[in-house]
Amino acid sequence: MELLIVLLIIVVVAVVGVGLFIVKQGNSNFKFIVDQRTDFTLTGITKAEAAFSATVPFINNGTQDGTLMDVFPRHFLPSEQFDAVDTDSRLTLDRANRNDGYWEAYIVPTTTGGSIILTVKFTAKSGDIKAALKDMVDMPIDIIYQVVDRGPWYLAKERLVMTTDEIHKALAANEEVAAR
Amino acid sequence: MTEQALELKPVPTRILTDKDNIVDVIEKYAKEDIGPNDVVSVAESVVAITQGRFVRPEDLHPSLLARLLCRFIAKEGSLASAYGMQTAMNAEGSWRITWALFVGMLGKLVGRNGLFYELAGGQTSLIDDVTGTMPPFDKCLVYGPADPNGVAETIKQRLGCYGAVVADVNDLKRAAVLGATQGLVPKEIAQILINNPFGNASQKTPIVIIKNYGLAVQKATAQ
Repeated sequence: MELLIVLLIIVVVAVVGVGLFIVKQGNSNFKFIVDQRTDFTLTGITKAEAAFSATVPFINNGTQDGTLMDVFPRHFLPSEQFDAVDTDSRLTLDRANRNDGYWEAYIVPTTTGGSIILTVKFTAKSGDIKAALKDMVDMPIDIIYQVVDRGPWYLAKERLVMTTDEIHKALAANEEVAAR
Repeated sequence: MTEQALELKPVPTRILTDKDNIVDVIEKYAKEDIGPNDVVSVAESVVAITQGRFVRPEDLHPSLLARLLCRFIAKEGSLASAYGMQTAMNAEGSWRITWALFVGMLGKLVGRNGLFYELAGGQTSLIDDVTGTMPPFDKCLVYGPADPNGVAETIKQRLGCYGAVVADVNDLKRAAVLGATQGLVPKEIAQILINNPFGNASQKTPIVIIKNYGLAVQKATAQ
């Protein structure tokens, strides 16, 4: 009987010990810091198309490394709300600088981070992008990301809003430069 | 025999997938460059991919044991995630991995490192976690290749070369030959490949021809 009690105590201590170890070890914790993003600036323009980019920082402030398996943008511009442009959005890790829209799985060590470059391209259905964007509306964009770490993989998202104001400012700044 | 004494010729290919046969690929991209005195080496992860030996984390369902044991692997290791650990368990068996980890931890207590990988089976140290391989397989866990000796023999038979190896080489000056044709000395070939002539993933050179290796062997024997 005493032996059983001793064994039981050992098992309980071991289970509690492992549990405490796992809790102390923790996990990764990702955050795309959308409120620290830069304004969108114009990165390319033709008669029919305009591309705007912004930089969005992210951080892993957890206690373990984690992998950003996939990160992609999802813009929300339904035709019921605004029907003058076709919209394409994509992003890349700033240091990877890819232009194919592919996110290469990326390990983010604990307490470090990085930045993504989010690019939105508008194509005017009328063929005149400046005219088309005159009545543009604020457009929400979700940054959706998949994480693999010590726990089960998961998807999460953070929302930012690309405002009409910054689109118009970016176009105006471009016109000023062109006028000089 | 060292790398300096031999010409190493990396062969670029497109990205290979499980739709490819590695021997057909070598024939297609390198046949003209391979002579009877050459040794053909091919990267192990690419052989594994052509064999379909990869899995997406989304297709795995880690057991409670895998989720627990991965916590005892250093965060840099391929088995540090529940998916990496489950992959190792699928390859070598749950109880073998558990036992090896237990003994490995006891070994560490008395200053004996590396016991886990010695006891956990050959596949355990060959598993690449996500990010470990070139896109689009960066989102997959990749096992080690199956039957590397058989792959090497098939390459030799098809290409008529002096020999062939399946090698695991990285930029950290670590090289191992996992499979080789008869007559080759794996450690010697590994030393020749130590500077990673396969390059990084973006260079897409999974095949390296060790030119005139057979002549060098004859010369060394004659001396």
